[in-house]
Amino acid sequence: MKREVARRVFAKELNNSTHVIRSGGEKAPVYLLTPLGLRCNRVFVVGALLEKEETKPESGIWRIRVSDPTGSFVGYIGKFQPEALEMLLDIDYPSIVSLTAKVKVLEGIKKKFVILRPEMINTADPDVRDRWIIEAAKCTIERIKDVELGKTEDAKIAKEIYKTDLEDYKRTVKDVLMKLKEEFELLEEVEEEELELEIEEEEFDIKDLFE
Amino acid sequence: MRIEELVDRIYSIFKEYGVSRKEIMDRLKLLIYEFKVPENEAYTTVVNYLLKEYKIPKYEVLAPLTKIAEIGSSGRVSVKVKVIQLWEPVSPSISQTGLIGDETGVIRFLIWAKAGKPEVQENKSYVFRNVVVDEFAGMKRLNVTRFSEIEEISEDVKVAEVPAKVYGEVEFIGSLVAIHQNSGLIQRCSQCNRIAKGGNCIVHGKVKTVDDLRIRGVVDNGIENYEILMGEEVIKKLVGIDLETAKKIAQENLERKAVLDELKKKLLGKYLKIVGFLGVRFFRVTYAEFYKPNIKEEVEKILEELK
Ligand SMILES: [Zn+2]
Repeated sequence: MKREVARRVFAKELNNSTHVIRSGGEKAPVYLLTPLGLRCNRVFVVGALLEKEETKPESGIWRIRVSDPTGSFVGYIGKFQPEALEMLLDIDYPSIVSLTAKVKVLEGIKKKFVILRPEMINTADPDVRDRWIIEAAKCTIERIKDVELGKTEDAKIAKEIYKTDLEDYKRTVKDVLMKLKEEFELLEEVEEEELELEIEEEEFDIKDLFE
Repeated sequence: MRIEELVDRIYSIFKEYGVSRKEIMDRLKLLIYEFKVPENEAYTTVVNYLLKEYKIPKYEVLAPLTKIAEIGSSGRVSVKVKVIQLWEPVSPSISQTGLIGDETGVIRFLIWAKAGKPEVQENKSYVFRNVVVDEFAGMKRLNVTRFSEIEEISEDVKVAEVPAKVYGEVEFIGSLVAIHQNSGLIQRCSQCNRIAKGGNCIVHGKVKTVDDLRIRGVVDNGIENYEILMGEEVIKKLVGIDLETAKKIAQENLERKAVLDELKKKLLGKYLKIVGFLGVRFFRVTYAEFYKPNIKEEVEKILEELK
């Protein structure tokens, strides 16, 4: 059987999902249909690990919160994912992490919660995080287009069920990218300042030599 | 469909065999007007009749001799080729796989074990008759089935120059989202090279083993994914760990698993650009590097498109 692709989706889109698709038999994979028509069962996320705590002392089940620029993912790692648990225990927070996880929906009393069941979690760096943001942005834009044009069956169903506000998602993606762009420009300014400082010092040294 | 169109279609297949339009027209008219046979039945009946009457082998018509450069993305063809390269089959369901070529190009081929064909050899020329064209991972491929024929020929087929980056080698960018358990410093059976966990080979039982370093995992770009295999050379270039280093790590930590843990820390969740060969089950990586795109440029490009 073909392995399920690890989808790139921002927290906002995933957390707004409530519709579950059970396709066929008992062993058939269960999918979450997002407001932008993504059928997903596994995700790959890079973001900031903000919380990591054992749900109850000695329970061996850890709750984590990982944030992206649009919101945060909540995940649970227990003894059934020994590899992920082993890696999690080695990771400090806050820090940037990457993770691959199965997507689950929990039915609360008032609403449904989307949670992640990580299969692996590892430390990452800002470059990997930025790359992920770009991927997620690209994928989100594609999905917005699909819903707009009613391109796929899933896109049509999503629009019907969620009455998705596409402009809202467009704004979110744009904000995320603008912020990333600003950060880069800030970074460049800092680098330029440092460079100027070096040059000044150099000049000073040379003058010093001739005095 | 007008009867003239049916005639045209059949004529285009058989004109080279000296069949006349009139003969086709007469047969079709007889079937359609006299016997009230449906058009598609009439078409098949006339084609079969002509094949038999003119003693034309079926595959010549259904799978015409085609130059590699002219092969479409599906259908049946026959090709006159030289076997350029044979690759190690990755599954027992495959008898042979590799690269064949003629003067117009090269293409991947695959002989299924069920086809029951004698083996072909590198640098020999053959006519592959009635092979099925399909696409695998975006690349055309010729499949030899039990309905195909392979005939060795004495003619030395000239082959188009194979590009330095061998055709069949592909590039993929994605995140290494999983590393499977049987990765790291592993033991192989000294007789058959299979993985021999704890010194036990599933075929040869308790055996002498040879150490090896490899990664089996999944590279995923959010749209598609590949099961990948990475050997010592690739791992060494990527993260600086070779077989000797791996053995040292295992010795210092008193367990082989330490090597796997180290590889996981260095590679899991990282973006890689991989180059290699696509098999039926695995992407065999021949080169890998950490993928470092120009984020700023990419952001600007997407923002521009969003305007
Ligand atoms: Zn063996």
